[in-house]
Amino acid sequence: MDDIRPGPMVVACIRITDLRPQIEPLSGTVVREPWSTGLSPPDAAALEYSFRIAEAWSGHVVVITAAPPSADAVLRDARALGATVLRIAVGSPSSDQAYMDDLGSDERAMAGMIVAALAPFGRPSLVVCGDRSSDRGTGALPAFLAHELGAAQALGLVAITTTDQESMVVAERRLDGGWRERLHVPCPAVCSVEGAGVRLRRASLTATLAAQRTEIPQVTAAGGPGTTRGTHPGGPAEVVVGPGRPFRPRTRVVPAPDGDDPRLRLLALTGALVAHDPPTVVGPIDAAGAADALLAFLIRHGYLDTEPVGEEAATEGTR
Amino acid sequence: MGKADVVPTPGVSSDTPAFDAVVVGAGPAGSATALALARAGRSVVLVERGPFPGSKNVYGGVVYGRVLDEVVPGWWNEVPVERWVVRRSTMMMTGTQSLAVDYRSAAWGEAPYNGMTTVRSRFDNWLATKAVEAGAQLVTSTVATGLLRDGHGRIVGVRTDRDQGELRANVVVACDGVNSLLAKEAGLMAPAEASHHTLGVKEVLDLPGHVIDERFGLRRDEGVDIEMLGCTRGIPGGGFLYTNSDTVSLGVVLSLPHLAEAKVRPEELIADLKNHPSVAPYLRGATLREYAAHLIPEGGYDTMPTMVTDGMLVAGDAAAMTLAAGLWLEGVNFAIGSGLAAGRAVDRAIAAGDCSAKGLASYRSDLEGQFVLADHKRFRKAPALVLSERIQQRYPGLICDLVDGMFTVTNPVPKPGGVRLTRSVAAKHGVKLRQLAADTVRALRVFG
Amino acid sequence: MSAAGGVPGSGHEVPGGTWRGISFEDRMSTVEFRVGERAHITVDSDVCRSCTTKACVTACPANLFAPTSEGGILFNYEECFECGTCYMVCNHEGAITWTYPDGGLGVVFHHG
Repeated sequence: MDDIRPGPMVVACIRITDLRPQIEPLSGTVVREPWSTGLSPPDAAALEYSFRIAEAWSGHVVVITAAPPSADAVLRDARALGATVLRIAVGSPSSDQAYMDDLGSDERAMAGMIVAALAPFGRPSLVVCGDRSSDRGTGALPAFLAHELGAAQALGLVAITTTDQESMVVAERRLDGGWRERLHVPCPAVCSVEGAGVRLRRASLTATLAAQRTEIPQVTAAGGPGTTRGTHPGGPAEVVVGPGRPFRPRTRVVPAPDGDDPRLRLLALTGALVAHDPPTVVGPIDAAGAADALLAFLIRHGYLDTEPVGEEAATEGTR
Repeated sequence: MGKADVVPTPGVSSDTPAFDAVVVGAGPAGSATALALARAGRSVVLVERGPFPGSKNVYGGVVYGRVLDEVVPGWWNEVPVERWVVRRSTMMMTGTQSLAVDYRSAAWGEAPYNGMTTVRSRFDNWLATKAVEAGAQLVTSTVATGLLRDGHGRIVGVRTDRDQGELRANVVVACDGVNSLLAKEAGLMAPAEASHHTLGVKEVLDLPGHVIDERFGLRRDEGVDIEMLGCTRGIPGGGFLYTNSDTVSLGVVLSLPHLAEAKVRPEELIADLKNHPSVAPYLRGATLREYAAHLIPEGGYDTMPTMVTDGMLVAGDAAAMTLAAGLWLEGVNFAIGSGLAAGRAVDRAIAAGDCSAKGLASYRSDLEGQFVLADHKRFRKAPALVLSERIQQRYPGLICDLVDGMFTVTNPVPKPGGVRLTRSVAAKHGVKLRQLAADTVRALRVFG
Repeated sequence: MSAAGGVPGSGHEVPGGTWRGISFEDRMSTVEFRVGERAHITVDSDVCRSCTTKACVTACPANLFAPTSEGGILFNYEECFECGTCYMVCNHEGAITWTYPDGGLGVVFHHG
């Protein structure tokens, strides 16, 4: 077992899998190769955010996965980056039956197993997961983890940043229409992140060589749902969305049309017989001209401010 | 736990070599070098730029494993094989004709076997794993970006693209492939000599295993290897088709300067080949699984780089060790053979305490004494002959027309006599009988 | 295709038995590329303007080079096989700078 280190603990809970398995076109058999296992983009992002947050908090990172020994290479890379690593031994996914068993496995039990395995390291301040896996995954594991830990949860994030206090992180999540919402997430918390925006750092050669020959600590599956329920006084703290309320797009009030004939009112309301603006044709035009024409169109229709959009772009209520 | 387990710790004086050897590139040459060194008890680190060994590698399709007999006894029981080649076909083609010389051997389908088709991601991993099991350290996803030299200009290690990425060693073994940036940096190889290289483009096509068995007349793990000449629109080179378990590898090999001059796109030549009446029926219904391209050093013996300098050896494709001598198309076996020899030479040099070019010189004599350089030397004139204008552009058509003239029944016109037929067909293809005789003699000299 | 006796029916061929070319995009989509942020190939378009052959345009198996109307070369690096054809066929010193992508990135062959 790795040393137990001081400072807040950030856990990266990742799924390690063959990123490009072969699928036999006739039988549907899935062939996975141990050497082509790796981290999917969401899992790589989860690991990178864990390191960034642990650095900001002067804490440490624990990387945990439930996988067969073929995952050890990836865990060694994580160790070379300075993380404590831990693998929960589960069956080899090389057989189709094991894969089917895995598909049907109980994610709540898995969450219980992970929390039990983490228990000797102390209580995590933050658990970061990828928001999806490339081979399977309902995306439900983070929610079960949050339940098991009695922690807050914020899922499907595009960014996590630390605040002045160690008891809070600020997260961003995509909304429809290019909007984003900002979440104030109290710790302990479980977050899942999209595979976008960050690249996983690379370990130094010295650390990579040193990590090569080390054994990856392995724990056997134990625990189960509810066995290690976090005892947070008063239950998990609530995630605060935006400036205190969820973002709701403003409704546009459309005045009722005049007239007595319901059919005419309906026509007026839907604009079915109204002549529309024909599509704007501006070409052929060079690239710079096309960009100007697009920007002018967007400004004309109110999609863009005339001022350049800067820092504010991602904050609440600003496009 | 042997010597190879020693991990350099930060703070150790940077002048001290951390390893006996650093091997760049975990292909067949690099893994064989690392295997030989680790077996000899030397500390060796194997640096691979891809995420796993084999991820950057492409080959036509046959590995001849005889070279492994000594290092991995019974290798055929554990190697990741697709099919054992029991049938070899050499095909002369024009746009609509083909003449094949087809050899089949039951012995090739039994241990100890002759050649096999495999997938490089699997094979290269298997060999690299052998090296790791013997005690070598494999570092993937790491590019060797340059050479480290001491005050006297002697090579003392490599720089990599990772932080704290300097690797110091007594000897650097450059197995970094056909583009070998290290051999170029060391001044052992010309920066870009297109005429010594061919471009191989390959399609791996999905076809169910039982369909392959039926179409190619094979059973279970039996495979076929078809080499083709005259299918590249006059661009010097050739085509190939190999059967894997449930895929077929099909591709063309093209002389770089002629490809550039012809202004033809490589994938068009593959499409030509797939549409050829002699090839298309084999591939009916097949779908593309992966497209790939790679350079091949085909200059042969006379274009090989200097293989040894102070503190560095070159092996495998980096030393131009592919044999492209017409009927013989081999590379992986030469890479393994040169790698094993490099490992032995480095071991001897370290034991003798002399890692200069002189101390490493036994590498070259070792290679000369065995198949690796002996074969290349024997066939040193073959690349020029095989890629010559008459062989490439005139003889396939000439031979096909000759056979056509012999076997096309022209009743009531009487059959032509052999000499008259040969003369008229040769004239049609712009070849004089005198040239035909001269080329036959030349071929006998080159291959004899 | 039903007559093909157990052969999957999605072959890239027309009924006459000849292959129609699959689109170049489909061809390249069969290959895995782990794209880095640094371009490992750079082209000095000023040198290319004086080049009359532009051999890289047709020879590159990944079709990464495109001539521009001003006589230069536009290049991509993302879907590169890292084969080296471009700099080998280039007859203008210094036009193409060619290195390997950073460790772990670039093309990943699974059936090489």
